[in-house]
Amino acid sequence: MSGVIGTARLRPTARVRRWAVGYLFVLPVVLFFAVFVAFPFLRSFYLSLTEWSGFTSPRFVGLRNFESLADDPVFWKALRTTIIYTAVTTVLQTVLPMLLAVFVNVGWRGAVVFRTLLFIPVIISFVVTALLWQLIYDPNFGTLNQLLRAVGLDALVHPWLADPATVIPAIMLVSLWQSLGFFMLIFLAGLQGIDQNLYEAARIDGAGARQEFLRITVPMLRTVTAVVVLLNLINGFNTFDIIYVMTGGGPNRASEVLGTYLYKLAFGTESGATPSFGYATAISMVVFALCVVTAVVQLRISRRARDVG
Amino acid sequence: MVTPAADTTGTRTGRPRAGVTRRDLLRGGLLGAAALAAPGLLGACDSGDSGSSGGGSGGKAAKVRLWTWYTEQEKQWPQLAKEFQDSHPNIVIETRVIDYDAYLPALQAAVSGGDPPEIFAPHVLAIEYGKAGIAADIKAELGADFVSNFFTSTNDEFSDGDKQYALGWMAQTFGIFYDPAIFARAKVDVPETWDDLVEVSNKIKSSTGLLPCVLSNNPGSNGPDFILPLITQAANDPQLVLDLDFGRNNASWKHPKVIEALTKADQLIKQGAFAPNPNGIPDEQASQLLYTGKAAMFYSGSWVPQGFAGSAPKAFVQRYKVMQTPAWSAGARHWCANQAGAALAVSAKSKNKAAALEYIKFLYEPARYAKVMNESNSMPSTHAAGEQVTDPAVKLMTSWLLDGNGAPHILFGKGSAGAATNAFAALIGGKSAPEKTAAAIQAEVEKARTR
Repeated sequence: MSGVIGTARLRPTARVRRWAVGYLFVLPVVLFFAVFVAFPFLRSFYLSLTEWSGFTSPRFVGLRNFESLADDPVFWKALRTTIIYTAVTTVLQTVLPMLLAVFVNVGWRGAVVFRTLLFIPVIISFVVTALLWQLIYDPNFGTLNQLLRAVGLDALVHPWLADPATVIPAIMLVSLWQSLGFFMLIFLAGLQGIDQNLYEAARIDGAGARQEFLRITVPMLRTVTAVVVLLNLINGFNTFDIIYVMTGGGPNRASEVLGTYLYKLAFGTESGATPSFGYATAISMVVFALCVVTAVVQLRISRRARDVG
Repeated sequence: MVTPAADTTGTRTGRPRAGVTRRDLLRGGLLGAAALAAPGLLGACDSGDSGSSGGGSGGKAAKVRLWTWYTEQEKQWPQLAKEFQDSHPNIVIETRVIDYDAYLPALQAAVSGGDPPEIFAPHVLAIEYGKAGIAADIKAELGADFVSNFFTSTNDEFSDGDKQYALGWMAQTFGIFYDPAIFARAKVDVPETWDDLVEVSNKIKSSTGLLPCVLSNNPGSNGPDFILPLITQAANDPQLVLDLDFGRNNASWKHPKVIEALTKADQLIKQGAFAPNPNGIPDEQASQLLYTGKAAMFYSGSWVPQGFAGSAPKAFVQRYKVMQTPAWSAGARHWCANQAGAALAVSAKSKNKAAALEYIKFLYEPARYAKVMNESNSMPSTHAAGEQVTDPAVKLMTSWLLDGNGAPHILFGKGSAGAATNAFAALIGGKSAPEKTAAAIQAEVEKARTR
C-alpha cells in the first residue's frame, strides 16, 4: 500500500536501495530465527533419521527409528499418559481459572488478597514446587496423609506417588496448583475488557447470573480461552520437569511421559552406556507433530466458533 | 492510501523520501553485520582458550578443566587447584562442580561439540568414550603400576580388555545404617541373614512402633542397588549380573537364580522387612527418617556418612552404625553392592592432556588423596587410602571391599538399566510377580538391543 505507491514513484536505483534497506532491517531477525529455530529444527529432523550416540558420527538409518517407535511399548505407554495428562490438565486449567476469575472479578472484599494468594505458586520454580509436593505426598509422614489421619479419614491415607493408579492424578493436582493463578490472571484481564453495558442490557432483559455467564462472559472470553487452551496443550505435551523431579517417570513407568522418556534415552541411563540420541530425537519429532496438529485444530475450532458467533 | 501517519520513512512534512541516505545504509549494514557476527561471538564465549592452548606453549599457561558432580569435595577442589598451581605455575586448573541432574547433558554437549574438558567424571560412559577415542587409556598413560593401586572392582568397571579409561574417585559399598539406641530399646541384635532382618524388623515395629528398615525407591534407581546384589547372593557369583547386563554367555534375565533373588525380594517386602511403600520414598526423606528417630534402619551406600555429617544431629552422628548387607543364609558371603559411581577420566584429544595427567597424578598422591577422602567422609578407591580411612562407618564399609564382597549394581548394557529399574519398581510395589518381573526385563532388554 503506502510502500508500494511510495516505491513506484522512486527511481530504479533508489528502489533497489530501499529494498536492500528493508531486507537489512529484517536480516537480524531472520538470522536469529535461522540460527536458533530453523537450523536446530532441521538438524533435529535429520538426527531423527540417524543412529547417533552423541559422540560418534550419526549414521543415517532412514525411518528405522520411527519403525522402532511403532513397536516400542514404552513409547505407546508414554504417549497415552502424555495425551491423558494434557487433556485433563487442559480442561482443569482452563475451566477452574475461568470460574475463579469470574469469582474474583465480582469485587468482593478480600478479593485482592485471594488473588495474590492464588498467584504465589506461579512465582515458585517448578523444581521447588515438585520437591515441596514430594514431601506433602510422602507415604509415611507426608503432610497430606498426616492431615487425613488427623481428621479421622484414615481410610483415605494412600501412597500417592507410589501407586500407579494415583501418581498421575497427584501430579496433575500439582500442575493445577501451580498454574491456577497464572491462567486466572489472564482470564481476569479478559473479563475486565468486557463492556459492562452488555451485562446491564442482559439484566434489563431479565437474564440471571447463570445466563449472563453462559451467554455473555464465556463468548466474550473466546479469544482469551483460545490462548489459555493453546498454552495448556503445549505445556501438557512438553511436560517434563514436575514429573522428572517428583517420580522420574515411575513407579514402573506409571508416570512416564514422552518428555521424560526421551530425556532418559538421550541423557539418562535408559540406553545404558550408549545414549540413543537418534531415537530420542525421533520421539521429540512426535511431540512436535502433536503440538502442531493440536494447535492447528484448536485454532481452527476457535476461528470457526468466532465466525459462527 | 498514503497518509503522513502511515509513512514510516517520511520526513517531518509527511512526504515520502525519494531514496535512502548513506546513513540508513550504514545503519542497516551494521545491524546485519552484528547479526552475522553474533553466532561467532557466542561461540567464543564457551571455552576460552583451552582448545587452542598448546599445553602452555608460547608462554601461555595450559588450562585443565575438571568437570564433576562431586559436591562431596566442594571445599577441597579449590584448595587442590591452588596447591597444584603453586607448584605448577604453567598450568591453570578450572574446576566445575555441576549439579548431578545437569551434569550428563553438559558433558554430552561438550563431547558432541568436540571439546570435552581435560578431566571429567565419565558416569556410565567411560568405556564407550574410551572406545570412541574420547577418553584416554589411563593404563597406557600412567602405567600398570599406577592403576594397580586401585581396588580391582573399581578398575574392572572402567576396563575393556587391556585398556582402562577411568580411575575410581569415590568407591562405594552398600550396607544398612542403623540406630543402636533403637536396637537396644527393641532388644534386638544386628541381623546376619535376610530372614533375620525380617524378624528384627517385625520386633522393632511391635516393640517401638517405629518404621523398620527404610528402602528408598523414588525415583526407581535404588531398586537395582537392592536387587542386583541379591542376584549375586543367590548365584554366589558376581559374574551372572555382568553377563545379564551385556547379554554375554547367553545369559537371560529369566535365569533361575534371578527368579530366586526376585522371590526373596518379594518375600522380604511382603514379610515386613522394610518400611511400607518404598516406591514413594525419596532418598533424602529416607535418610531423614533414620536420623530423626522415625525409623531404625536405612539401606543405602557409603556416601550416606557425608550426608549425616552435614545434616544429622550431632548425637546421632556419634551414635549411628552400619551393618553388612545381610547374607543369603547363615555363614554365606555378605555380597554387597559395590563399584565406583564416581570416577575421573582424561580427554584423549586435548592438547593439554599431559597437564591433565600431571594433575591426576597429583590428586592421587597417597597422602593427599587419603586426606581429601577423609576430610569429605568419602570412600577411597585405592588400597593405600583405604587403609587410612578415619570415619568409622566408611572404614567398616571399605573393609568389605578389601574382603572382596563387592557385587555389581550399576548396569551399562543397552536397555538394561531402564528395563530392570522399572520392573524392580513393579515388584517392590507389589504389582508384579517374580517370574513376570524377570520376563518383563528380558523382553524390554531384547527390544532395546534391536534399536
